[in-house]
Amino acid sequence: MRQLLLTLRTAASSPTRNARSATVLGRLLGAAFLICLLTGLYSHFLQEPASWMRFPTSPVWLYQVTQGIHITAGIAAIPLLLGKLHAVFPQLFQHPPVRHPVQVLERASIALFIASSVLQLVTGLLNTYQWYPWPFPFKQVHFALSFVIIGSLAVHIAVKLPLITRYWRARDSYDADGRFVEPSGELDPARAEHEAVRELARLRRDDAATATSRPGAAAPAAPQPRGLVGRVTRWIDDAREPERDPARSRVSRRGFFGAVGASTVGVVALTAGQSFTPFEPLNAFGPRQRGLGPNDLPVNRTASAAKVLETAMDPDWTLTIAHGERTMAFTAADLEAMAQGDERLPIACVEGWSQTAHWRGPRLVELMALVGAPSDRSLRVTSLEEKGGYRVMLMGPEYATDPATLVALEVNGGRLDLEHGYPARMIAPGRPGVLQTKWLSLIEVI
Amino acid sequence: MTRSSAVPAVPASTGRGVRVARAVLVVLGVALIGLGGWVLTETVSPTRYGGLLIWLIGAVIAHDAIIAPVVAGVALLVGRTGRRIPAAVLAIVQVGIVLGVVLSLVVVPEIISKARGPKNDTVLPFDYGARLGVAWLVVVVLTALAVVGWTVLARRRDARRAA
Repeated sequence: MRQLLLTLRTAASSPTRNARSATVLGRLLGAAFLICLLTGLYSHFLQEPASWMRFPTSPVWLYQVTQGIHITAGIAAIPLLLGKLHAVFPQLFQHPPVRHPVQVLERASIALFIASSVLQLVTGLLNTYQWYPWPFPFKQVHFALSFVIIGSLAVHIAVKLPLITRYWRARDSYDADGRFVEPSGELDPARAEHEAVRELARLRRDDAATATSRPGAAAPAAPQPRGLVGRVTRWIDDAREPERDPARSRVSRRGFFGAVGASTVGVVALTAGQSFTPFEPLNAFGPRQRGLGPNDLPVNRTASAAKVLETAMDPDWTLTIAHGERTMAFTAADLEAMAQGDERLPIACVEGWSQTAHWRGPRLVELMALVGAPSDRSLRVTSLEEKGGYRVMLMGPEYATDPATLVALEVNGGRLDLEHGYPARMIAPGRPGVLQTKWLSLIEVI
Repeated sequence: MTRSSAVPAVPASTGRGVRVARAVLVVLGVALIGLGGWVLTETVSPTRYGGLLIWLIGAVIAHDAIIAPVVAGVALLVGRTGRRIPAAVLAIVQVGIVLGVVLSLVVVPEIISKARGPKNDTVLPFDYGARLGVAWLVVVVLTALAVVGWTVLARRRDARRAA
């Protein structure tokens, strides 16, 4: 077993797999995960605010950008995580696997981090494709795992802190020839132990060779590890040979960082066009395309999925606005006859895609003034949808009183398509798309 | 192997600042893991824990037992068979392969999801399979150009040195 672990560790070692590479990639990955956590928390609290929470309604693109960054940073984290795990792969074959109780915790925290971060990235990516092949709820698990990831990352950073500070700067990491300066035994006990065991094995072999080549005895060839393990070990040592040349290992390192860098830039550049205008022409693999759909706008929940095909097309449809005892009902013609506001506001999905559109309809503040609603109250907005998590939406006073918030009747110069919430939908600045309630039915002051 | 008390269990602290930062990070980390666990028990039905656990363990197995050993094996094989090839050429080819593989990792689930039938026409609107094919072609061409470019430059450099 020991021999196997030693062989595996040697096989897995390479010039790119050192503490400096791990530090460099770890910094980038840590930043990506932290960005995902913060933007994710913002999105979470926008959707499930504590009662005292208020959010900025300006700039109107705030949520569009934070959520676009959330998804983009998550996609960038995929090659970064693979690169980071690649850089630390030999650590998997420590011998002995556990030397100390503290190490049990260390390895447990790493296992927790790898499991939760790999799962988080896989489920997060597949969520943007609207594919859910797992037996647990996505949203809740994604939220819970985000804390587990950052927590296990903090423990991992704590354990490795001396190594991280040791290899923070490139000039402390490589000598004049570009050779990696190995850490002292104190800083990397696992590596020190590995080297010691290898050295011991070599000495034993040399001893045995000296013993068997005594004068008088038949002089056999110096014994090497026999059997399959021996052959594999020799083959690996052979394969490792060129890397002892510092120039070659420097190129090998550059190739490694070039590969991680190119794939990170590649996946970001070819998907970010669904969220960010400068990348739009490059959008080869984004799950959404801006400008595509009815009213030149993508759709998430369709009218047929929401089961509003009949109720939304009912000629007797009215929008009811209630403030205590005061209730008013507006037909589509009533709303069209009111003063119309024009706003350029983004529709920004939790899944990362977003698009700014030109909306037109009565301003919500003016509608609410008609029923004498005070400005410091929240609203409960109900859709024609029969069921669904977003049938009822709560709107804080910051959105209800913002003059940019519209009860939209038109988008991009045409009457609102049924898929976009005909006869009327809510559009407020800086909110997630799921809260821009479509197929409006009732607005209540609460 | 003798167990030496001189060898610490984990990287040893090098100063007071590191020790304090370590303590803060461990406390913060354990608290966040606890928070995550609490959020999970509050929001997810216990009947789903088994499935979640299997997926968590599966994620580690998929990486540590499949992806990583295959990558390490390929790297070793290329390292041994490519000893006579200039390191820079190997590095350029490696960049191309990794870029193509990572793009595929991201796009293949998209192809599957599209084949399963999106909820509406604006979800996954492209022919992702064809686009991935084109992407691979572009990567191969760029890699070949980079290799040729590097070889020409290296020859000129060698010729200058010889002159």
